[in-house]
Amino acid sequence: MNGKSDLELVHGLVGAALASLEASRSRIDDLNVYPVPDGDTGTNLTLTVRAVVDGLGSVEVGDRPALAHAVARAALMGARGNSGVILSQIVRGVADVLAQSTDGIDPALTARALRGASDAAYRAVRRPVEGTMLSVIRELAEEAERRAGEPESVGELLIQLVRHGEEAVARTPEQLDVLREAGVVDAGGAGLVELLRGLASAVSGQALPAAPPAEAPAGVKAIHLDPSRYRYCTVFVVEGEALDLDGLEAQLEQLGDSLVVVGDATALKVHVHTDDPGSALSLGTAVGTIDGVEIANMHEQQERRERRLSLVPPTRSRTGVVAVVAGEGNRRLFETLAEPVGTIRIVAGGPTANPSTAELVAAIEELNAEEAVLLPNNSNVRLAADHAAERARLPAAVAPTESIPAGLAALVAYDGTRGAAENAADMAAAADAVATGEITRAVRAVELNGLAISDGDWLGLADGEPVAGGDDFAEVTLEVVGRLLAEPRALLTLLTGAESPPLDGLVERLTAAHPGLEVEVHEGGQPHYQLLLGAE
Amino acid sequence: MNLTTENTAIVLDSTADLPDIADRFPNWRVVPLYVRFGDESLRDGVDTSAADFYERLRSSTVFPTTSQPTPADFLACYEEVSAYERILSLHVSARVSGTFESAERAAAELGDGRVHAIDTETASASIAMLALAIQRRLARGTSDEEIDALVERYLRERGLLFTVDTLEFLQRGGRIGKAAAFAGTLLQVKPILSIQEGEVVPVKRVRGERKAFAALAAALETETEDEPAYRFGVAHAAAPERAAELEALVRERRPRAVLELVVTLGAVIGAHAGPGTLALFWFRDGD
Repeated sequence: MNGKSDLELVHGLVGAALASLEASRSRIDDLNVYPVPDGDTGTNLTLTVRAVVDGLGSVEVGDRPALAHAVARAALMGARGNSGVILSQIVRGVADVLAQSTDGIDPALTARALRGASDAAYRAVRRPVEGTMLSVIRELAEEAERRAGEPESVGELLIQLVRHGEEAVARTPEQLDVLREAGVVDAGGAGLVELLRGLASAVSGQALPAAPPAEAPAGVKAIHLDPSRYRYCTVFVVEGEALDLDGLEAQLEQLGDSLVVVGDATALKVHVHTDDPGSALSLGTAVGTIDGVEIANMHEQQERRERRLSLVPPTRSRTGVVAVVAGEGNRRLFETLAEPVGTIRIVAGGPTANPSTAELVAAIEELNAEEAVLLPNNSNVRLAADHAAERARLPAAVAPTESIPAGLAALVAYDGTRGAAENAADMAAAADAVATGEITRAVRAVELNGLAISDGDWLGLADGEPVAGGDDFAEVTLEVVGRLLAEPRALLTLLTGAESPPLDGLVERLTAAHPGLEVEVHEGGQPHYQLLLGAE
Repeated sequence: MNLTTENTAIVLDSTADLPDIADRFPNWRVVPLYVRFGDESLRDGVDTSAADFYERLRSSTVFPTTSQPTPADFLACYEEVSAYERILSLHVSARVSGTFESAERAAAELGDGRVHAIDTETASASIAMLALAIQRRLARGTSDEEIDALVERYLRERGLLFTVDTLEFLQRGGRIGKAAAFAGTLLQVKPILSIQEGEVVPVKRVRGERKAFAALAAALETETEDEPAYRFGVAHAAAPERAAELEALVRERRPRAVLELVVTLGAVIGAHAGPGTLALFWFRDGD
């Protein structure tokens, strides 16, 4: 192997590792509870690897030891946070081993590199803790050594290591109480596996299964963990000659905790949590020149993370909704409207499928709520809804909606944190403000309100009264809309039925006829009515 | 101590959405927050104007993030106005930003008690309206006690209502607080929001832009009076037509009141509220 191909190879590998970490960055941020729940492990690891990518950009083609040195140095200089500093040592351990070899990379060399990484990482931390990045890198080294005799390629080995690493990460809550209490796995370890996943997939040429889906939200406990008693996460590099790592470490230890000092006699990277970052920096300037200073207020990071996690909606609502709905599309509209503010149960309904009182009672009692509001969405269901509200074991109220569009308008006013009676009153008022229309097919020739309608013609109704008929779907619809807009309205909702004809140009004709009107069209999927209309 | 425009400076941060204000009042300064696209960091209102920002937002593949000014940024500004004996530093709600904390730390660093950092518990034109109320008092001479009383009343009485096109921006930025529950629906639901005790809170949801506008119009009717003491502000993010409509409505329905400000939300507030945001602010101040 020559210097040029080494450089290209390293470039490709580090780029793949970075891409894989980037993809999981926020997931890892949200896992972060150890050593302090500041929610930035994913970001720190990503920025550290990015520093290596940037550093490689200015590396000249040279021999392998020079390249290894450049990579290790870029990782050290760019290391962010505790996890970044440990990662920089892992990189260094790998680089040191690879620098000494002159051949291609085989499974045995991979195992030695991982062992070097594990040793370097353990050396960097004063009090190594199991259930962290440290135990994950060590288990990876052990597994690689176990498999080193097997006849497999480096790519295959790395794939096996990703699997093994995932198991090691999954075990971290058993090893570290703080993780178990928070219900999360170790963020640093998880990040390390993502990095390895990127490498494995680049080397093997196989797309590896994506990172496991986001864990359940870390939960209330995780965000109430005590933050570090120190306020500032302080990171800097000291450059000089004959730097005394142990001496500097001993002095820094007086100032705070989470201390990591790594590097060599010419460059040391310092990470410390302290209330007095100034003094920490002074210790650095006393022995050399400092660079790459970063001071982050962890209490603020902690607050930001709490805010992010508080987006998880409450699981149980005070009041839930039971709605009688026909059509798959309509069901989805009701669900997406209700779920962000509470909880809903849909009971299938429709002109020829009115649910029984018993079905409605059962739905009320299945709600994850203390009270219920019923939306019958049809005058024929009103009575069953009233009976169900009386018989259900929880307090229930009916908002007497007579159509699907009225039910949707009612649901906009729903708020799961308020009581059923309050909700029902507001929801009924919102439904009252909607004029509803329907387009269907006449099943026999009729004359209604002076309208002669043939069998099979389109029949248009406004608020239950036939107002238009004919063989032109658009004309009938326009006529109905005209009636609905007799009073000024801002918004027209069209819900198409299961057997709707195409709405070619209909929306354009409607907006042209009624300037300023907002028109929304959704697939409702209801039977019998090719179009349901709501104007509000 | 008699505070005047000669001896008292007002320092705002860029979330007050008045980028050129120092030109209007020699005793005013603005410290920019930062808006970041990927790794590129821009000073709000300095390296990027509101117009540039919304243009860039349309084409950017990365989502902008924001960060507060550093204590050093504030320190530099306070030193710039060191000729003033009192510095009133008014900032965006500390519940949604570390800006106030940065200012406080810089004030402590200065250590001579000249800087009073104030958490306005709000954002945008609302901050500017408090600053204007203070400036009116400085113009005729005032005291620390009077300013304290004004700020206290302002925190209780100032009102605001806003609507956003989508909650996505507030959600991504983590600035949504209790309004989180309003998100996510297939229908075009527009949330009506306010800021209470420094936090974005949901007021109601409506369907469609017209109804969102109607909700602001209804608040104008029920929450305010047509009298000269009422002061109004309008702010928008890339929605000039709707802002003009709201402005016209305020002038028509509250002809005796003062429409103090019509502003564009700058990059930082814009990054959290998103294009299409429309806001109405009010404060009753007879001074």
